[in-house]
Order: sequence, then C-alpha cells, then structure tokens
Amino acid sequence: MLRARIRALIRVVSFPARADRELDDELRFHLAEEARDHMERGQSEADATRAARRALGNLARVREETRAVWVSTRLEQLFQDLRFGLRILTKSSAVSATAIVLIALVIGGNTTVFSIAHGILRKPAPGVHADDLATVSWVTADGNVQSHNSYRAHLHFLEHSATVRPLAAVDFQRLTLTQDNGSFAVKATLVSSNYFETLRANLVKGRGFNADDVRLDSSGVLVIGYHVWQNTFHGAEDVVGRTVSLNGRPATVVGVVETRFRGAWLAELADVWVPLAPERSWLQPNHPSDAVSMIGRRAPGTSLAEAQAELTTLWTQLQRTQPELNQKLKVRLVSYSATAGGDSLVATNGDRMLAIFSVVTLLTIAIVCANVANLLIARAVVRQRELALRQSLGASRFRVVRGLLAEGLVLSAVAWCAACLFAWWVSRVVIRFIAPPSREPLTLPDLTPDWTVVGYALGLALLCTIAVTVGPALYTGRQQLLPFLKLGEQGVVQARSKLSRALVVLQLAFSVLLLTSAGLAYRSVSFEDGFNLGFDSRNILLATVNTAGSTHDPAGDDTLLETLRARLQQLPGVQTVSYVRGVRTSSWLGFPVRAGRSVEPVLAAQNFVGAGYFETLRVTFPAGHDFDALNTSARRTAIITQDLAATLWPGERAVGKILIAGAADRPLRAEVVGVVGNAYFGGRGSATHPRYVFFSNHEQPRSPGETTFLIRHNAPEETVARGVAKALREADPLVALASLRSLDDHLAGEIAPLWMLTRLLLFFAGASLLIAGIGQYAVVSFEGRRRTREFGLRIALGASPEQLIASVLSEGVRWTAAGLVLGFALSVGVAILLTRVLFGVTPTDPPTYVSVFALLSGVSLAACYLPARRAARTDPVIALRTE
Amino acid sequence: MAKTRQKPDLLQGTLDLLILRALQWGPQHGHGIGVALRASSDEVLRIDHGSLYPALHRLERQDWVQAEWRVTENKQRAKYYRLTAAGRRQLAIERTRWSRLSAAIARVLGPA
Repeated sequence: MLRARIRALIRVVSFPARADRELDDELRFHLAEEARDHMERGQSEADATRAARRALGNLARVREETRAVWVSTRLEQLFQDLRFGLRILTKSSAVSATAIVLIALVIGGNTTVFSIAHGILRKPAPGVHADDLATVSWVTADGNVQSHNSYRAHLHFLEHSATVRPLAAVDFQRLTLTQDNGSFAVKATLVSSNYFETLRANLVKGRGFNADDVRLDSSGVLVIGYHVWQNTFHGAEDVVGRTVSLNGRPATVVGVVETRFRGAWLAELADVWVPLAPERSWLQPNHPSDAVSMIGRRAPGTSLAEAQAELTTLWTQLQRTQPELNQKLKVRLVSYSATAGGDSLVATNGDRMLAIFSVVTLLTIAIVCANVANLLIARAVVRQRELALRQSLGASRFRVVRGLLAEGLVLSAVAWCAACLFAWWVSRVVIRFIAPPSREPLTLPDLTPDWTVVGYALGLALLCTIAVTVGPALYTGRQQLLPFLKLGEQGVVQARSKLSRALVVLQLAFSVLLLTSAGLAYRSVSFEDGFNLGFDSRNILLATVNTAGSTHDPAGDDTLLETLRARLQQLPGVQTVSYVRGVRTSSWLGFPVRAGRSVEPVLAAQNFVGAGYFETLRVTFPAGHDFDALNTSARRTAIITQDLAATLWPGERAVGKILIAGAADRPLRAEVVGVVGNAYFGGRGSATHPRYVFFSNHEQPRSPGETTFLIRHNAPEETVARGVAKALREADPLVALASLRSLDDHLAGEIAPLWMLTRLLLFFAGASLLIAGIGQYAVVSFEGRRRTREFGLRIALGASPEQLIASVLSEGVRWTAAGLVLGFALSVGVAILLTRVLFGVTPTDPPTYVSVFALLSGVSLAACYLPARRAARTDPVIALRTE
Repeated sequence: MAKTRQKPDLLQGTLDLLILRALQWGPQHGHGIGVALRASSDEVLRIDHGSLYPALHRLERQDWVQAEWRVTENKQRAKYYRLTAAGRRQLAIERTRWSRLSAAIARVLGPA
C-alpha cells in the first residue's frame, strides 16, 4: 500500500501531464466501448456517442474526482501548496526578491550577531573539553563579582565536595623566563596538580603535574605552551628535561601542551604553566595573598543547581570554623565558557548583554517582518479578486490561508539558505570590522557558525514565516467576496489597508529609535575618545618590562629601574624618560585618602612613579614641585591633583600638609610636596573626577615585577622603538620586555570595547534605516500602481504632474511625521534609562536628534518621491484603457 | 475534496466490494467491469460510470488492484485492472462484513 502510494505520488509529482494523459485515454476508451455497445443495439453513431456521454456524466467532474484520489494525502497536498506558493513567488518576482532579500538580511544579520554572542558566551577555549565544566565565582555584599578567593576554600571543596570533582585552582602571574638565548616576559598560569586532568587538555610531550610537584621542598618544574616550544626553544626534540630560569630560579621543563591550548580563559592566555603550591615558596616569597580562582567539572548526573547548593553548604561550614575568612562573600557556580572567567565582563554582565541583544534582535525582526508582511498584504490586495474567485468556487478559507502559509514558507526557506551563507561570510569579515583600533594581536573566540547557529537561523525563519503570513491571511480571511467579484480587473483594489500604513509608521519609529540610540552612543564614545585627559599623550612610547628575572628585592629593583631609565635617556631622539608601576586602568583605582584631621576618606587613584613623570607627560605644577630625586625613605612625600587638593583642603594651600592614605589599620602618612594640574592619568575609564595621588617609587621601592617606561621622543616611533628594545637587552639581558606600544594606542585600547559596541549598534541602525526605506518605497509604489486609473483620469482632466507628485508625497510625509514623532518619544524614554552610561551627552542631545531627523526625512522622502514621479508620468490613454 | 457519490442508492463502500468481486473472474477494463456488474445483477444495479473511475483509482492506490495497459481483441489500447493478493484478502473481508450486515438488516426488518 505504501509502495503504491509512493509510486502514485512520484507519478503525480514528477509526471503530472502523463498521469492526466493516461486518464484521458482511459476515459476515451470507455466512451468508445460504450458507444460501440449502443451501436450494436442498432443506434446511429451520433446517438450512440451521445448516449455514452450521458452515461458517464460530466466528463470534467469525473476527471476532477479521479485526480482528487491521486492527491488525497496531506503530504501531496502540501506539495501542491508549495508548488502553488512557488508559482506565486515567481509570478511577481520583484516583490518576492525584495521580500527574500529583506528576510535574508534580517536573519543573516541576527544570526551573525547570535553566532558572535554564542562564540563569546558559550564556546570553550581551544583545546578544552567543556561539558560539565563550571567556574566558581564569588559575590560580595554589594553585588560585585570576583574570581579569586582564599586557597583554603579550594582545599575544603577539594576534600569534601562530591558534586564538583575534579576541581582545579588557578592563579595568574607575569614571569620572566630566561634561557641561553635571552629573557622573555611570559604569562604564567599557576595551577593545582589536577589542572590538566580537569580541563582534559592534552600534552604532546612529557607529563602534566603530580602531587610531588606542588610540595614545598620540590624543585621547580613547568609545562610550556606549544608556541613557546616552537619559538623560544625552536622546537627542540629534547626540550623535556631542560632547565631554564623562572624569575631567576631554576625550573625544569616537564611537558609541552597541544597546539591550540592556551588555558581556560581567553582573557588570560598562558605561555607556561607552573605548579601552584599553597605556600608558593620557591616562586614568590612575598606574595601578598593566597587567593586563587577555581574551575571544576560537575560529577555525572549532577545539575548546576545541586552543585551550587553543595558548595554553598561547604562554604558556610568553612566560614563558621574560620572567622578570618571574608564572612560576606557568597559562592556562585557559573557554567564555563572561554570568556566567563570569574569577574570578567561576561560573567558579571553576560545576562544583561544577552537581554539587550535579544531586544535588539526582536526589534529588527519586527521591523523586517512588518515590511515583508506589508509587501505581501500589498500583493494580497492585488490578488483579492483571484482569491475571492477561488473562494466562490468552493475553496475553503482554510485552504486559501494554507496557500498563503505555503507562500511564506517558500519565501523563508529561500531566505534561510541565503542567510546561513550570509552569516558564514559575515562572521569572517565582521571580526575585522568590529576589531578595536589597536596594534596588539587580538584574541577573539571562534565565531564561525556551528549547528546551534544554523538551528537558531531556522528558528528565526519559522518565526518570520508566521509573522509575515498572519497579516495577509487575516486580511484575506476577512474579506467580503461579492464586491471583488463584481469589480473589473483594475477596479478591485479600492480599499486601503490601514494595517499596512500602521506597519510603515511602526518601522519608521523603530528606525528612529535605533538611530538615536546609535547616535547617542556614537556621540558619547566620541566625546570619550576626544576627551582632553589633561596631559600630552602624543609622541610617548610605553615599554613595559618585567624585572623579576634580574633582581629579587625592592632596593635592587629601584636601582635597576634608575639604571634602565638613565640608559634610555641617552638614546638619540629621546627627550625625557620616566616610569610608572601600573599603567593599566585597573592598576589605578580605589584608594582611600584622608586629610590629616578629617575622618571621611576620599577615594583617589594612586600610583608609584619615577623621577620626571610629570615632566614627561607635560603636566604643570600650579603649586609645589616634583619629587626630590635625592630624598630617601626617611620622609614620605606625595603629589596630588588640584581636584583632590580642593576636595581634601577646600580653600587652603595643600603643599606642606600631611595626608593619610590607605586602610585605617595601616595608614601611610606623607607630606604633600606638589599639586599638579587636573589630568586623568589613568585614562578616563569610569572616573568622574581627576583625583590622583602619586608616591615616589624611589622613596617606597616595590617588589620586582612589571614596570612601564614612558619615553617622550621627537624621532620616528619605529626608530625609537627599535632603539629601546636594543638598549634594554644590552643594559640587562635578564630584564624581559613584555610590550612596546605608543601611549595613544594604549589609551585607544582602553575604550576599544565601547567602540566595538557602538559600531555594532550603528551597523544595526543603518541596516534598519535601509530596510525601512525599502519598505516605505514598496508600499508607496504599490499605492501608486493601485491608483493608476485615478491618476490617468486626473491627468486627462488637466491635473499637472506637480499636483500628482504632491498628492502622493503628502500622504508619505504624513507617515514619516507619525513615525518620527513616535520614534522620538520612544528614543527619549530609552535614552533616559541609559543616562548612566552616556558620557558628555544628554538624553536629548540636540545634534543627534537633528541628524536623525534629517537623515530619516531624507531617506523617507526619497522613498516616496521615486514612486510619485512615476505616477506623475502615467499615460492617461493607457491608464484608462486598462479597464 | 468532494467525495460525494453520484448514486446515493448504492450503499457507501459497496461499489468497492462490487468492483473487487467483478475482477475475481479475471483482469478487466473499466467499461468491462461496468458491463459485467450490470449483467451479473440481472440489470438491477446500474452503476454510474462516472463514479467507477475514481473508485478504480482509489483501489489502485490502496494496492488492492493493479493496472496495466493492454491491447483488446479490437486492437485498442485499454487499461486493465487485476486483483492483487491484498485485493483478494480485502474482498474476503468485505464479503464477510457485507453478509453480516445484510443478515442483520434482514433480521431487523423481520418477516413482514
């Protein structure tokens, strides 16, 4: 039975003409036989033929009923519907092409962004097997998330947890690796002995760590990255077993990891891995805290919530027994992704980012579906007569709607294929497009679409199908048949669609909203980018070095830095050189400072700098002077900005006063020797006031580590950079150069993520404007075509082309105005919600709104004018004859 | 789609049974089946020719009959239908059902 059905299906679908022909043959034979019977009974040939026909009944009906037998299954009807849908699409190919392009654009665009978000939020780092991996993070009393907590928590969880095992502890550190061919600054990940087993990372040579490696008295060992093996060790086969120096202490290479593996988090790519000993004896005797991050694998069959519950219980136990632990922290288990490390932006704001992304997605989909629905409604109006005819001939409304659904389905299917190709292509291009303007190599996650992404696109396509079908279907389903049947071919389409006009207004409003949001974001970031930081950042080269390989105590470090500074100062083309301990924005923040007598501390950013820092940055001293280079640690001095001085000692002279800095239990008293002009030394970041306090590195030397030299030059940057690298190598081969870049690049890098978001937003807004423009054009041009006869008549009666253009335009302008008003109202509402993240612009920033107004009006007028001009050129003779 | 029969006086589903029965004597074309049914019912059953073909095609789809093109004694091409094994089984089932049904109806009507 099934076989026969398939055979019949194949026959009907593939050879419909042949099946029809055979049926005709069969019936013709029947008629001939019947006529012959009658003739044998003595009738004339004509009578016999008539009698045979009478006996068979209505020939067309017999054919129709027999054919109905062929296509009685749902599948076959679906085929028929689809063929019907395809036929309609090819019949008005311009409309179909526009609809397909629009849907493909929106699905493609959204799929691309989804695939990026998916890549960033969900995919594991290369070489990591992510199933069931989870990251432990900590929530403070005020809701902030941090990645690190006491090593004791790790030991406690490791010993007692049944739901998360294995659980690895991780910390990060910059180290200096020295071997025969020089010193290298390397990013090290300090790991517990079960680290490689936890991440299921593979090694291509040697072994991972074992319990012996983390013992206190054991000699140093390390595992190196594949690229370190290739670059630093030139791929030597005997690399395992070699001894190198890490921060000046000997360590043996025991293993090499596979090519792609660079650690679990993209934010902290590792070059080498060293064992994390609880006491960290051999590596860093002076490490101030014992904090670590944790990553673990959930036991099979355990949900994230169960594991979370268990860890919470264990943590509460531990807090109770050890009061010196932070009593306010709460433990939170987060599903692992390459970017969701502890306190990263994604871990803390991932949900919010996803929410914003979904809203934007839905908005653009709404716009496009409104558009396509509009096009289809427009066509449905043209087809009103055809559909009315079909219904009057007995097609049920359901059948008619099913035809429309099939049409939408075919449309979306084609668009879906186009969208997948589009997304695949864009995801390769978009990385370059949104990449921040920086010379540093980028570490972006793998963004190429996978099956999840293709499925997502499919979901969107289905959504679009439904969205674009419902409008026209409702429209058609409700219509009265008789008026359409009575009217002629051209007269059919008198009724105007309120729905389609409402949709045009809606999509214009959405475009306005997106444009103003993007405009405000752009203005805000531009302000931030062009913001006068208060110092001269041009022609300054930043050279970050790590001195831990060469010296081991603060005093030695101070001497070394001064030697290096003197050496760099002598280079040709170099004007002034100084250094600062931390240069990244994160190194500057949150340090309580009090005036001598006040109790209420002021939060200021602090840093330790070398001699000539302010001279190099060209910041002036309104009062006092720079640090005294010869002063020793006997007397502590400090330099503060004007803003901080005015806050601490309003209306008084700050120079000569004593300020108290740091935590209340360990106060640091220092005499203010200078007040510098207001400048945002650490970059604008999130600071609202230029409040800075500087200490002299010479007076309070720090442990060896990373220091950044600021080199003001008047020779070409390339030349100076080469000279600096060479000079540092010659001055001390054990000092590793970690990075070399210009201060401007560094500052640009700090706001790069904002630029990236803004560009994405601009991209979306531009696309939505384009789509809205196309949509309005389509609807206006359709209206124009609908009124061809009216225009012909008016021209014949003496109307001028200008009058006709004006009549079409005036209608378009009304929609535009409505869209602008609605859009601006929405925008102001949204912008007020965003006030907190805007910088330098108000939610009602006039330039933004004026430009959006001009842009949208321009596009919208163009979209109306083109069809209007065509309408004005209507030839009255042709237009009237079409009746 | 319309499934109305032209002859309401023929019970629903009976036509299929009659066609299957007619084909039991051997392969036959549509016209031949019509003639045979009329003859074997002593001209009582006048099968509407129009409803014959949809029924035949339906039986073919259900794999109870199989069709092939042959040349008749008068050297004309005709579509012959033949009972399949499944068709034979179906005939037996339909026959039993029919005799049960007619017996039941006879009992209800009772001796007049």
